[in-house]
Amino acid sequence: MKKNNYLEKLYNSKKPFIIYKVNGGYDLYTDFSKKLFLHNKNINKFFNKIKKNKNKNSFLDLYIGFFGYEILCNLNNVKIPKQRDIKFPKSIFYKPETKIKIRKNITIKSSHKNYRELFDKKIFSKNKILTAFKINIDINKYKNIFNQFSKKIKEGETYQIKICTKYKNKSLINPVNFFWRLMKTNAAPESFMIRDKNFSIVSCSPETLIEKTGNKIKTKPIAGTWRKTRTTNMRKALSFFKNNIKETKEHNMIVDMERSDMSKICKPGTVKLSKIKYVEEYKHLYHYVTKIKGIIKKNITTKDIIVAMMPGGSVIGCPKISTLNLLNLQEKESRNIFTGSFGIIKFNGDMRFNIIIRSILNFKNTSEISVASGVVIDSTANHEFKENYIKAKSLIDLYR
Amino acid sequence: MIYIIDHKDSFTHNIVHQFSKFDKQVECENFNNINIKQLNKADVLVLSPGPGSPINYPETSMIYKKFKKKKKIIGICLGFQQILFNENAKIIQQNKIYHGFQSSVKVTSNYSLFKKNKEFKVGRYHSLKLKEPFFSNNFEITMRCKISDVAMAIENQTDQIYGFQFHPESFLTENGNLLIKKILSA
Repeated sequence: MKKNNYLEKLYNSKKPFIIYKVNGGYDLYTDFSKKLFLHNKNINKFFNKIKKNKNKNSFLDLYIGFFGYEILCNLNNVKIPKQRDIKFPKSIFYKPETKIKIRKNITIKSSHKNYRELFDKKIFSKNKILTAFKINIDINKYKNIFNQFSKKIKEGETYQIKICTKYKNKSLINPVNFFWRLMKTNAAPESFMIRDKNFSIVSCSPETLIEKTGNKIKTKPIAGTWRKTRTTNMRKALSFFKNNIKETKEHNMIVDMERSDMSKICKPGTVKLSKIKYVEEYKHLYHYVTKIKGIIKKNITTKDIIVAMMPGGSVIGCPKISTLNLLNLQEKESRNIFTGSFGIIKFNGDMRFNIIIRSILNFKNTSEISVASGVVIDSTANHEFKENYIKAKSLIDLYR
Repeated sequence: MIYIIDHKDSFTHNIVHQFSKFDKQVECENFNNINIKQLNKADVLVLSPGPGSPINYPETSMIYKKFKKKKKIIGICLGFQQILFNENAKIIQQNKIYHGFQSSVKVTSNYSLFKKNKEFKVGRYHSLKLKEPFFSNNFEITMRCKISDVAMAIENQTDQIYGFQFHPESFLTENGNLLIKKILSA
C-alpha cells in the first residue's frame, strides 16, 4: 500500500478511527460527531433513531460500531449470570464525519471543512509486551467442560456447542502497527480495527453475518476448519471436508440453523443456498463455507434483523437459545466483544455485520484473544483444544 | 390455517417456510406463549423440533391431548417423540447419534401414504429415539432408517396424526416438500 502523508499523520495522532476491510481495499472512518454507548435501556431508542432518519442517504449517513456478546444475548431474552467482568462497554456505535477510501489511490470525503487541521501532536506508541500469554482454561479444565457438554448432547439439550477459551497478556499495543502487519499476511474479508482513546480492537474475522442491501439479505456461515501445511491445498481441503463426517455434520447443522434464522425475517420461499459447501483459504487454515440469501419481508425492522441473526449461530452452536443458556451457565468470564458483531448500519436500513472472532481486544493494558471450537458428538477434547490454538495463532504471532 | 408450536428450536422457521408453500396462513408461537384463539382456528397443528426430551414440555403434551382427533397433528423430531410419548411410548438415548447427518430411510409399511419400499434421503438431528417394541391403537411405524432400523415415521390415518423423526425441512432432505404436501392433502 502506498504511503500517504495524511494517513501517516492520522495514525500518529490521538484521534479515534475505525478501519473496515471492503472489496479491493479498506474504508477508514474518523471525526466522530457522536459516540453512543448502548445498553439494554437505550438500545431501542438507537434503533428508532435510525428508522427516523431512513430517508437520509449520503455516504456518511451511517453508524459504525459493535454489539458485544452480552447485549445480543439480552436482545434474545437470554440472561447471563454474574461473571468476572473487566467493565468493557457492551456496545458502542460512532457517527463518522470523514470517510477515507484506501484503494490504489486514496480519496477523502468529509463533512468537516478543516478535517486536515484537527491533528494533535505526534505520539508514536511502540508495542510493549509486559507478560507472556496465558490461557484461561487449561487442557484438564477443558476436558472437564468438554465431557459435561458431550453429556448434554447425548441428552439432546444441544446438538453442537462451542467452548470458548481466552488467551491474555499484559501489553501496550500500537493497533495500527498490528492491523497492517496482520493484513499483510491475513487480510480476511471481515477484518477491522478500532482505535479509541482507552481501547483498541484488531481483527481478521473471516465471517460475514449480515449483508443487507434494500430488501436483499445474505449471510456466509463458516463451519469447518482444517490446518494448513506445506502439502495441503484447496483441492485437498475440499476433499478433506467432504470425506470428514464430523466436519460435514457440523457444517450441515449450521446451514440449517442459519436458513431458519433468515426465514424469521424473509419472505417464504426466498431463502436459498447460493453457494453450497466450498473452501476458503486463510493464512494458517482452510474453512468450509456456505452462502445463503433471502428477501426480507415487509415491515421487518432493523432490530428484527439483528435479533433474528445475532449472535451468529456458527460460533455458538445449535439450537441457539438452549445452547446460549448452557454456555452462559458454564462460562466464568465475560466474552466482551467475542462472538458479538461489528459493522455498519446505514440510515436507509442497509447493513453489513461480521462476527467478531479472530480478534484482539486491548483494554486497560490487557490484550485478550478469545477462540472457540465446537463440541459435536464425535469430536475429541484434544483435537478441539488444538483447533482453538490454530485459530489464535496468527494473532498471537503479532506479539513476537 | 396451520399452527406451529415452536420449542425454541433453531430449525423451526424452515418449517414455517415449508408449510407456507401449502397454506397462506401459517402461525408460529413459542410453546410457553400459545395464542389459544389462533390455535382454536387452525386445521393443522404442527409440533416443532427442539432441544431436550418430551417430558420437558408438559404444556405441549396438554395441547396434544386436547386436540387429538380434533385437528390434523404433525410432529417433527422432538414433535414426533412428543406424539409417541403421549401414546405411552418410551423415548430413550441412542448409542449412535445423528446430528446433521444425511441418511436413507425406507417405507416399511403397507398402511402408509407413501409407497412401500420407497426410499428417501433425509436430514437427521436427533439424540433420542423411540424404544421398541411400540404398540398403540391405530398407530403404525411407516418408515425406518435403512441401516439402524430406528423408527423414522409414524402414521395414524384414523385420527390424522403423523410424525417424522427426521427433518423434512432440512436442506439435507430430498423431496421434503412432497412428504409434507401428501400429509396435508390426506
